[in-house]
Amino acid sequence: MPSLSLLAQGLALGVLTGGVYALLASGLTLYFGVMRVVMVAHPAFLFLAAYITYFLHAVTGMDPLLTAVITVPLFFLLGVGIQRVLVARIPQESLAMMSVLLTFSLALLIEGGLGYVATGSYRSITVDYATTSLHLFGVAFPYDRLIGFGLAAATFIAIFAVLRLTRLGKALRATIQHPDAARLVGIDTAKVTGIGFGIGLATAALGGAVLSIIDPFFPAAHWDYIGKLMAIIVVGGLGSVRGAAIAALILGTIEAVVQVSGGATEAGLMFYAFLFATLLLRPQGFFGGRLAERF
Amino acid sequence: MPNASSVRSPAPTALPHLPRSVPLRIGLGLLLVLLLAYPWIAPGGYLRYAGVLVVMYAVLSTSWSMVGGFTGYVSLGHAAFFGLGAYATGIGVVTLGLPHAAAFVLGVLVVAVFAAVAGLAAVRARGASFVIVTIAMVTMLSLLAQDMTWLTGGSAGLQVPGAVAGISRTGNHALFFYLFTVLLLFALLTWWFIDRSRYGAGLKAIREDEEKAEALGVPTTAYKVAALTVSAAFTGAAGGLYAMWFGNLDPIFVFSLVLGSSMVLMALLGGSRYLLGPTLGAFVVAPANEYFLTQHGESQLHIILSGALLFVVVLFMPEGVIPAVQRALRRFRPQSASIREQTQQELHESRGAAT
Repeated sequence: MPSLSLLAQGLALGVLTGGVYALLASGLTLYFGVMRVVMVAHPAFLFLAAYITYFLHAVTGMDPLLTAVITVPLFFLLGVGIQRVLVARIPQESLAMMSVLLTFSLALLIEGGLGYVATGSYRSITVDYATTSLHLFGVAFPYDRLIGFGLAAATFIAIFAVLRLTRLGKALRATIQHPDAARLVGIDTAKVTGIGFGIGLATAALGGAVLSIIDPFFPAAHWDYIGKLMAIIVVGGLGSVRGAAIAALILGTIEAVVQVSGGATEAGLMFYAFLFATLLLRPQGFFGGRLAERF
Repeated sequence: MPNASSVRSPAPTALPHLPRSVPLRIGLGLLLVLLLAYPWIAPGGYLRYAGVLVVMYAVLSTSWSMVGGFTGYVSLGHAAFFGLGAYATGIGVVTLGLPHAAAFVLGVLVVAVFAAVAGLAAVRARGASFVIVTIAMVTMLSLLAQDMTWLTGGSAGLQVPGAVAGISRTGNHALFFYLFTVLLLFALLTWWFIDRSRYGAGLKAIREDEEKAEALGVPTTAYKVAALTVSAAFTGAAGGLYAMWFGNLDPIFVFSLVLGSSMVLMALLGGSRYLLGPTLGAFVVAPANEYFLTQHGESQLHIILSGALLFVVVLFMPEGVIPAVQRALRRFRPQSASIREQTQQELHESRGAAT
């Protein structure tokens, strides 16, 4: 049994990592919400963003977090483009299944492309302000993770605010709830769906910047994230942004605590244990709304 | 029996998906003879090895299409069944000391039970959740296989002794070429029986509209779980043969999403709704893959190429090359005799055109 302080440390790290998971899962939730698309390539785009951040930092000396000013709009446009040009081509009847394959092929293209351009070796960015830790109550909070958590939380609040408070958010939510009805009341659902996709991909850009300072990365690492993020959005309830955030925090914390008390494998298996338990006990997810029941 | 999804010609001689024209039958017969003669045509070690791989992929993509083709549920995780079958067989031989045949049967049983249980979880929620579960199965088993070193050998791999003591490498390739071919014929036969059965009609009804199928009395959950179990059993059998043939199991290779996606690619490229579609896909993609590997080695280009091929197939010919070729051939014929399958979308389109 690990000591109490070790557990507290695990808990602290877990919450911070969970915040980053929440940021990533919110993007996945948006794609699923607006289009019922399971975007398998989301983690691959995350690593694409991390590499862009890395090279911008290496070439221009820009602060890795500042590069988000470039990558976020870029990925937003890319997301809109992917939805309008590629995903919209798939017929409605086979969308749920074929979109997975389409995004899987994008993931392969990104992984191969990154490996070709940047080789398969590990990369990481060290910034001097992120190497130390904040000590509180005998528990160390690494600054890089704190920054990641802060950014994730801010983004999350921003997305939530847009969804709840703005006209665009209303249109997005209407499109998520019932696309046909949304079209009937005059919402340009094609445009709104594109924007939803764009925002989703923009979270990958931001996540990539955060990732580049907290963890070493290599092109094939995105596979590790796919299973975890998928488990999070199912446990949270497919299509529910709030549910995904809660599930991400809980699962991130459980992962970290199990990691210090059990081991890395047990920690990784936790995601799947929760995934299967959710599907057997409550297939619509634990925090999701009614939307999830239909899928 | 009226079928919810397909309109069949009244001609009693019409077997669905089997070519009726004599030249095509002769051609297929010749291909089968050619297939059986392959180890004698290609006596070299590498060519025989590649031949075994191609037939193995044909088994895998045919098995995949028992779920993906009939029900329309796309599984990205069939590598889980392949790997589980391989490891269960390997562990049966190495740890339990079973004879190879018994270990093989054990492997198939383990996979069938696993698929039935996982299938229950997967089909409880529809559509997207199914894909997510299949992805989770692979990553989960990969973690376990790497961690349980005492049982699986971990990432160093599991060494499985050969099935026949003292057999030469090329002899072993020939032996397993035939074993895989028998498995392929068996899988094709099963596919054909399902296709013609009332059960198959129910699976296709699920593909076209699950709610309506259920309303019409198709026990959708039981049908889907059964389809997944049969498909997984064949995939696991291929895994078991692979373990005995290849002799070394690497958790990263057998439990990989990329392996699962190549089954999907082969099935879709050939045409997952046609008996010989997945086999055709495997016979195109797998040799191309091997050729590329020998020419350029294991490189990132390889991943890019698979991705690009999947991209093109999904966007431009999700029905596969068989219907595309059929459509092209039909243009030269005076009248097409039967419309075998119509997707919901085609039905909408033709109705839209009529009104």
